[in-house]
Amino acid sequence: MTPLMDLKNLRVRFHTDEGMVKAVNGVSYAMEPGEILGVVGESGCGKSVHALSIMRLIQTPPGKIESGQVIFNDRDLLKLSESEMRHVRGREIAMIFQDPMTSLNPVYTVGFQIVEALKLHKGLDEKAARERAAELLTLVGIPGARQRLDDYPHQFSGGMRQRAMIAMALSCEPQLLIADEPTTALDVTIQAQIVDLVIRLQQELGMAVMWITHDLGVVAEMAYKINVMYAGYIIERGQVRDIYKKTRHPYTIGLLGSLPRIDEPPGTKLVSIPGLPPDLLALPTGCPFYARCTYRVERCLEENPSLEEADGVEHTVACWRWEHIAGRVSS
Amino acid sequence: MAEITPQDLFVTDFAVREHRSLWVDAWRRLISSNTARLGLFIVTVFVASATLAHFFWTYDAKTDLDYALKLKPPNLRPTEEISTIHPFGTDKLGRDIFRRTVHGGWNSLRVGLVAVTISLVIGVLLGLLAGFYESMEITQGERVLLQGLVGLSLGGIIAWIGAQWVIALLFGLLGVLSIVFGKFLAGKPVRIALFALGGLLIGGGIGLLGAPMVGLVCGLLGAVLGAILASPLTGTFFSNVVMRAMDIILAFPSYLLAIAIVAFLGPGLEKGMIAIGVVGIPIYARLARSAVLSVAQKEYILAAYSVGEGHDRIIFRHIFPNILSPIIIQATMGLAGAILSAAALGFLGLGAIPPTPEWGAMLGDSYKYLSSGAWWAVLFPGLAIMFSVLGFNLLGDGLRDALDPKLRV
Repeated sequence: MTPLMDLKNLRVRFHTDEGMVKAVNGVSYAMEPGEILGVVGESGCGKSVHALSIMRLIQTPPGKIESGQVIFNDRDLLKLSESEMRHVRGREIAMIFQDPMTSLNPVYTVGFQIVEALKLHKGLDEKAARERAAELLTLVGIPGARQRLDDYPHQFSGGMRQRAMIAMALSCEPQLLIADEPTTALDVTIQAQIVDLVIRLQQELGMAVMWITHDLGVVAEMAYKINVMYAGYIIERGQVRDIYKKTRHPYTIGLLGSLPRIDEPPGTKLVSIPGLPPDLLALPTGCPFYARCTYRVERCLEENPSLEEADGVEHTVACWRWEHIAGRVSS
Repeated sequence: MAEITPQDLFVTDFAVREHRSLWVDAWRRLISSNTARLGLFIVTVFVASATLAHFFWTYDAKTDLDYALKLKPPNLRPTEEISTIHPFGTDKLGRDIFRRTVHGGWNSLRVGLVAVTISLVIGVLLGLLAGFYESMEITQGERVLLQGLVGLSLGGIIAWIGAQWVIALLFGLLGVLSIVFGKFLAGKPVRIALFALGGLLIGGGIGLLGAPMVGLVCGLLGAVLGAILASPLTGTFFSNVVMRAMDIILAFPSYLLAIAIVAFLGPGLEKGMIAIGVVGIPIYARLARSAVLSVAQKEYILAAYSVGEGHDRIIFRHIFPNILSPIIIQATMGLAGAILSAAALGFLGLGAIPPTPEWGAMLGDSYKYLSSGAWWAVLFPGLAIMFSVLGFNLLGDGLRDALDPKLRV
């Protein structure tokens, strides 16, 4: 099967007054149609930036996509003109954002904003677009959708706004939905509802979903594959089962260790990864995780490991010592 | 899509409230404040009296003259000496001050509205574009359009000096050419030299039609402009050119600049409007730019991009409505400022041409008679200025409270 999206060696830089921030450093992976991909990593690891680069929504200047290809439906998005790209946004790739409080325009009604998107891409007339917008709001679980079309965003709760955002993103039936930490700003029960909603919509509409988060617990439930990112690199990638059961990168081990577990005795301290991620202005020549790694050896300081096949299905890891770690973890 | 009923979902939010727009909310907050109500009242009285007087109470300033009634104090009842009522008294030509004050309101209102409209439209447009493109890649089409605009407006200055408006058009063309042919002209120094030469020829050649000196000045300025236009336009460059031009206007004391412009254009109410309007442009441009910079960072703008909206729609449909509040407030305050400036110009004899009734001109006509006891001739136009300015300021303050985004939920 040809992949829906094939990312090849994507590099993104920000030229700031302090120097060049290397935000994304050669990210390559493919997504199948209808796949749910989880992208995890801590703040500033390049997960949002790489997603925005796919949509070509990086603020330029200071940001710049230095090199790479984003093959989507057999064409390179990075080579399209701005007006061609506009047809891709919303119609083929849609995006929802972290903060539902600010992601709807406060001066327009929710209905107006969905209707706008429908008119833009589907060429529907006002009446049909309104009808469809009401259907979409119902689909994402907003009761009394027809009346609520005329509500302003401030009359919606946070969860409802995120639902409305999802309705807007789905309005043109995209093939890929990029969800950039869509549940981070919501409380836990609403989070679960939104996750369920996206899974249900994904199954019904057959679209692919990229779910960006720093919460490994959320993606474990829904994703098929996971990319773990660190300092602008993918450092481990594989199916959910392998990432959790056959964890091979020290950073992923640290991330999983810092999750609270329900089967632990009370009072057990959470493990935190010591230190801070490296300064993206001055990345080390060796492995970016070297300074915080407990498995480090001389080689890690000199050479940066690239992704290589590890045990498991389609499981790749960027660590010189994954075999050693495999031995340690399973023993 | 499959039918999903709300019952299938865990939905807890059923609150349905009445639909109220932000503007309705703002209006309610506005009329709930006493000072804002007072301001609104004064402004309403001012606008209503001026408008009604203009349309229903004919007054011909040119024939209004009666030396017999020269400088009579206010009288509310006909006496043996004066058979007509003059609640505000009469001035040095025996004209009824009440009538002139009310009709002067129409002129002040006109000046205020036209001047604010000039500065608002030009200033906000420049500020919007400057703010938006400050951190935005420009597409080729926009580049041609903007560079043409820069050339046209900068060329306008030279055209003004040379009194040949075709110069502005030629500079606009030069700007467009710099983008279209910019790629093919190798080397930056070559390009700058070529365009500077072009500017010199356009400015100097056409300027010479006026006078040798004009030709020289226009030619020199044209060379500088040509050099500026030679650099291919980026967003930051455009933003810089616009905002530095605004800084230059701001560097002049505003009254002095207005007086200079009127001195150049010649006196008259209409010229005064243009002068006051031009002086006000940078205020709106800066205000709009700073508001755009903060709004453009908001996630809903990113969301608008992500559904595939273009730059034009983002600027005018998504950013513009969100920067309206500060602009409305500034425009209301600006009306007060414009009325005051018009009065100042009138007082100096640079605004309305006599005998047009205008508050500043009335003051200027009558202050000489203050020492001979004719207090009414200056008091009432003065009060009219004071109250109209007060009214717009109070209303502006009230609007600021009502529209302040920080109060919004």
